[in-house]
Amino acid sequence: MSTVERVRPAAEDARTEGSASGAAPEPAPVSAGASGTEPGAAVSAGRAPGAVRSWLRLFGSEAGLTFRRPRNIAMLAVLAVIPVVIGVVMRLFAEPISAEAQAEGGGGIFTQITGNGLFLTFAALSVLVQLLLPVAVAVVAGDAVAGEAGGGTLRYLLTAPAGRTRLLAVKYGNAVVFGLAAVSLIAVSALVTGLVLFPAGPITLLSGTTIPFAEGLLRIGLVVLYVSAGMAALAAVALALSTLTEVAIGAIAATVVTVIVVQVIGVIPQLSWLQPYLLTHWWNGFDGVLRDPIATAEMGRGLLVFAAYTAISGSVAWARFTGKDITS
Amino acid sequence: MSERTPRPTRQPTRRGRAVRWGVPIAVTALVAGAIGAGPVIAAVQGDPALPERTAEQLLADALRAAETGPRPMSGTLLQTASFGLPGLPQAAGPGGSTSPAALLAGSHELKVWYGGENKVRLALAGRMSETDLIVGGDQAWLWESADNTATRIKGDLSPEAHAAQAPKALPTATTPQQLAQEVLERAEEGTAIGVTANEKVAGRDAYQLTLAPKDASSLVKEVKVALDGETFVPLRVQVYAKSAAEPAFEVGFTSVAFTPPAPENFTFTPPPGATVKEQSLTEIGRELGADPQQRRERGEELKGDVKTVGEGWTTVAVLPFSVEDLTAESAGGDGSESESAAATAEALLESATPISGPWGSGKVIRTKLVSVLLTDDGRLLVGAVTPEKLAEAAGRK
Repeated sequence: MSTVERVRPAAEDARTEGSASGAAPEPAPVSAGASGTEPGAAVSAGRAPGAVRSWLRLFGSEAGLTFRRPRNIAMLAVLAVIPVVIGVVMRLFAEPISAEAQAEGGGGIFTQITGNGLFLTFAALSVLVQLLLPVAVAVVAGDAVAGEAGGGTLRYLLTAPAGRTRLLAVKYGNAVVFGLAAVSLIAVSALVTGLVLFPAGPITLLSGTTIPFAEGLLRIGLVVLYVSAGMAALAAVALALSTLTEVAIGAIAATVVTVIVVQVIGVIPQLSWLQPYLLTHWWNGFDGVLRDPIATAEMGRGLLVFAAYTAISGSVAWARFTGKDITS
Repeated sequence: MSERTPRPTRQPTRRGRAVRWGVPIAVTALVAGAIGAGPVIAAVQGDPALPERTAEQLLADALRAAETGPRPMSGTLLQTASFGLPGLPQAAGPGGSTSPAALLAGSHELKVWYGGENKVRLALAGRMSETDLIVGGDQAWLWESADNTATRIKGDLSPEAHAAQAPKALPTATTPQQLAQEVLERAEEGTAIGVTANEKVAGRDAYQLTLAPKDASSLVKEVKVALDGETFVPLRVQVYAKSAAEPAFEVGFTSVAFTPPAPENFTFTPPPGATVKEQSLTEIGRELGADPQQRRERGEELKGDVKTVGEGWTTVAVLPFSVEDLTAESAGGDGSESESAAATAEALLESATPISGPWGSGKVIRTKLVSVLLTDDGRLLVGAVTPEKLAEAAGRK
């Protein structure tokens, strides 16, 4: 993203303060106390409607930038295409794929796609949640602070009367929304592909019981929420890494490498006792929705793990970001 | 942009920064505390207080509870096995295989619903798959979601026949109740019975009964049975080997509720599109037993060729067997299953140590709980005893 593009919302925010001097404000040294430059009025206005509006405006500008960025759109497009590819391949070569997948022990869900289109959603998510989805979330969340710092736009953002805490919260909210959008997009794309290519109807759960189509859709909604929660936890980790560096690619790469390393640790049998503490281990926990009765205990545990990761990483990001010297 | 002087009061000082970093540290401590809270709370509360009972009283209560049959309940079972099988290729794949043969190593979670006589559901969850055994009334089904197969189990489903066949045919049917019953029935002269500190199991106060074999040649140090303080239902069984401090085998509830489960759990209709098969229990057992040794054992058992030497804890089973048979059988099979079975057998044989005596010579495989002796004259001796005891049994033709 170009510097000019980034400057725009910052300038907009600055203008409301009546101190904007143009498209290219003279870079003023912003000390570590940038949050201190916030007018006292804005602080005391805490929950006033004006504050809410300015939160929303900041958030809207962030989300607009994120969803307009070509690379983010490209990532979303790839995520949306993969369920289509899986669906078409299953439609054309159902037999060999399912046999191969079965030998690997993960074929169960794939064999069911041909019987019911709805299962394509679960199959696609179970594939994408391993790497591609985390990568997409890491790119957005890892870029959040480091990208601004690297582009030299962070200090402009901080000249606006938006405290650092608020900026961080907005950045995080933005990453979470991107994750939710990505997961929903995969689900919708898989749902449409599945319904076009395969028969629809009552769904057979993993437990062998059958539920009506409408309830199946409801369960897909639960899966989307659960996976999004998992991605929100990853976004917090990426955001924490993002506050530690001024090189966006560093934060993104660090997050992706962390995900891969943790996944490798997760499959080492000797370290199986570690599994319940690993973030990646719980991403696949959405299969609990497909059991009868729904495995609420397991999924609840998964959500607790997500919450723990979010709380720890989020507080690290906050401590680092509100206390650091912004030099670029 | 006009230059502004940052107000000194909001300027983060070194001290302010330290305070900020206190937040993540506090959050981390909070999370760590939440993880560690369970054992700590248990330690603070101390052992649950239950009315005093002697070992004999407990044993009688437990047997009585076993006789009247378990009451309706549901819960989650955790089974952990570390038999110390030497060089066994990892049976469970990443994420846990749903193959019941995989229950032999590692830890596995099993969900149990019990609604009374002939109403049982067991669910073994794997990643994106599930294996269910559903017994409802006069019907019994085995559902494997990975293969999309529903198998109707033929044969006598009366409780007696079921109890007699199921544990052998289906390793998944091993519940604390069944295991405890077997152990308690064995608790005769050769056993030292004792009571240890009460414990909380699955959130319930429980008595702990220990059964230890008196015979020194047994590999079992002791068996601990946790009995529910109210219902005397076995909640957990731990088998300790002499060579390890951790239990070699443990099966117990991690959560349990003594309320009748929903009736839907005990009905099963094969879903549309599923392969429906019909098999008898012994056929299923043979298919599920991926280990050819087990398969062989079972086959021989059915023929009635098994002899036993000794009794109680140190019973040794003697059956005809030869290495050639094993490899031939493995080679004769087809598909990846027999390949992995052959690999398992090979790995086991490689770890065997040669042994000889007046009775002849053979190879011994020793694990924490079980020793296996393959004699060169074609016998297989199995028992929870030391290899020396096996050799002694081999001498007694």
